Amino acid sequence: MKTRRSVWLAMFLLAGVLLVFGANRGGGPKTQQERIDSLTSNLACPTCSGESVFESRAVAAEAIRSEVARQVAAGLRTDEEILGFIEQRFGGQVLLVPRADGLDSLVWALPVAVAVFSLFMLFSAFAKWRDNRPSAPSNDDELIVARALDERES
Amino acid sequence: MLASTGVSGTLGRAFLLVGFIGAIFGAFAAFTGARRNDQQVIRLIPRFAVLTFAASMGAFAAMEYAMITRDFSLAYVQKVGSWSTPALYNFAAVWSALEGSILMWVLVLAGYTLAVAYWVRKRMHDLIASWAMGVMFVVSAFFFLVSFFPANPFAAGAPGVLDGPGPNPLLQNHILVMFHPPILYLGYVGVTVPFAFAIAALITGRVDEGWLVATRRWSLFSWGFLTFGIALGSWWSYEVLGWSGVWAWDPVENASLLPWITGTAYIHSVLVQERRGMLRVWNISLLVATFSLTILGTFLTRSGVLNSVHAFSESGIGSWFLGLFAVVLVVSIGLIGWRGDRLRSPGVIDSPLSREAAFLANNVLFAVFAFVVLLGTVFPLIVEALQNRQIAVGAPFFDRLSTPIGLALLTLMAIAPVLPWRKATTETLRDRLFWPAWCGLGALILSLALGAYGLAPLLTFALGGVSAGAALRQVFLATRRQGWRGLVGRANGGMIVHLGVILIAVALGASNSFSKSQELSLVQNVEAQFAGHTFELRDVIEVRDDRSISVKALVLVDGRKIYAPAITKFTRIGMNVGTPSVRTSLTTDIYLTLEPPVRQDANEARIKVFIKPMITWLWIGTALMAVGTALAAFPGRRRKPTEPTSAPVEVGRS
Repeated sequence: MKTRRSVWLAMFLLAGVLLVFGANRGGGPKTQQERIDSLTSNLACPTCSGESVFESRAVAAEAIRSEVARQVAAGLRTDEEILGFIEQRFGGQVLLVPRADGLDSLVWALPVAVAVFSLFMLFSAFAKWRDNRPSAPSNDDELIVARALDERES
Repeated sequence: MLASTGVSGTLGRAFLLVGFIGAIFGAFAAFTGARRNDQQVIRLIPRFAVLTFAASMGAFAAMEYAMITRDFSLAYVQKVGSWSTPALYNFAAVWSALEGSILMWVLVLAGYTLAVAYWVRKRMHDLIASWAMGVMFVVSAFFFLVSFFPANPFAAGAPGVLDGPGPNPLLQNHILVMFHPPILYLGYVGVTVPFAFAIAALITGRVDEGWLVATRRWSLFSWGFLTFGIALGSWWSYEVLGWSGVWAWDPVENASLLPWITGTAYIHSVLVQERRGMLRVWNISLLVATFSLTILGTFLTRSGVLNSVHAFSESGIGSWFLGLFAVVLVVSIGLIGWRGDRLRSPGVIDSPLSREAAFLANNVLFAVFAFVVLLGTVFPLIVEALQNRQIAVGAPFFDRLSTPIGLALLTLMAIAPVLPWRKATTETLRDRLFWPAWCGLGALILSLALGAYGLAPLLTFALGGVSAGAALRQVFLATRRQGWRGLVGRANGGMIVHLGVILIAVALGASNSFSKSQELSLVQNVEAQFAGHTFELRDVIEVRDDRSISVKALVLVDGRKIYAPAITKFTRIGMNVGTPSVRTSLTTDIYLTLEPPVRQDANEARIKVFIKPMITWLWIGTALMAVGTALAAFPGRRRKPTEPTSAPVEVGRS
């Protein structure tokens, strides 16, 4: 058993090291197109609500896509700046990801709150169940058992 | 009004009316029969089920007939019918817009009602069956009514119309439109059956485990079809829409995902109730949630309050569905409150390290997941109502929040299958997870060797490995013990489903994280390179038929085979639809789309290339889930009630 425990320990250590290594190595540079794709995935197509510019084949989406492509090709702005520029030019509803301020921040905060709350409920349920475990039989219980045994014997 | 439609219009409406009356009478017979325990009335119930089903078949057939004969006296045929639509797509055109899809709902629901009536035919005297039939009839009556009034597919159209545009071009582009909607509906509508039995159990007060065991297969059946329908939709999206993705988190997709999430939670937690008699309120609530989410989803996506790719035109059905949603919630919550004392569970969970505790944790995760999806879907409505401003909540939001939930679920999938009921020790866990953990480590090393990077995908692969190990361990032990019977039954079939889920999780992790894309401006007969593959434009050709003009770029990939991404202009509707062309293999898909503008006479073309790893495994995983679901529905070896529920305590080991 001792050896198995050390094997487990080694396995966890190795997995941890590998994960840290893998999480920190990059996948090489993005192509321009990949940068365009990831940017347009964050933009809502203005005429076809529900789809991103990346997904949509609508004319309005095409216009934004080529604007993003132009900006990326020029290579002067960062991703954030490009998104800001598009937002300024095409209006505030073009972002597909709600900002984390004002009322919109609720969409981020509520899931976290619900998750924390339900985990709390789960653990308190476990704790409650553990406390409620049936205790030692009472005198009445013993009496019932004794009577039943008597009946069986007689 | 009726006079101005052709024969199918008149007939169809008559059938709907007959169906409605049949459902009302059926409900009446079921409820009075059950209340007075009057066997003579109860015996009438199956006849009404036959009647409503025949009426729904008649209405659906009338619609198909109108579509096939292009009866342009009907507004619906004017909207989605056309002489130029090929027969197959014309057949599917019936469910390509709101009114027709409600008609299909009616048909499927009446079919389920009849199937349940047949299933309980010998037990009809059992009051729980009568009450459940009554609930089925009430829901059917509602849908007949919706189809008769606000979503009338047989309404008369403007006079003098001789031809129409046909269905949305996206819906006449791929054979899957024949299958995805009906199969999805089999799942979506099928959740009505366990819901009806839950309500019946509450009414009769027989909330013990009998009705659960009885309806288990119905729940599994509709869950399986829901899963399969969703997967077919993803496949369609991938093959048709041209953005190379399988899931867009579009409101209608979310509307189908929500009942799937609560349904998945249910088929897990119901096992705890069957085994230990616990979680009764919770399970009934999950069934109610699943059913009401199908109604809420239909309200959100079909009433025009939210828009999406799937959204049909605005219509007046919104208030109807909202009304039904409210009624379902009020009645169910009222009944649960009324029966509160009987629903109190007899057992307790002994240890957080037990299978029932793992199921509970699973349910908490699924509940949070459902909350996230619902919140993201309706959040734009909330913001608009409170601040009168429009925002969008899209895929990036859902992706970011569902990743940690998915990873937590994978972790649970790794541990839960090896946990015994009641109580486990860390030693048991350490012992049973030993080989699964090696699988996880192996998966991690393999994916690193193949060049994977990033914390979330690597965790997905590693946890996927452990979960697969845990599932295989169970299947291995079961088959060693029982031969082929070790593959059937819910625990073993469930493990096969788990394997499918793991494949899907890994495929999603890989394809979302490691896709490459590039736009190539190809010139005829000049080879271009991207990501180790070569692309050469051979020709640009034009194909015409009487409904569309297609421009196809013939691209030779890796010097082996020609692929032909196309852009098709549907002349009648004036809409351009791109058609991707995909080279599929077990490791990597090469996904080509033709980018506008296109000229047929040009000797060049702009092609967008996506290199997407492991996509095929999504479909293999889906197939495995389907197989597993079928195996789980198959009766396994029944445990005798006297046998112990968990493994004997091991003595003398440390």
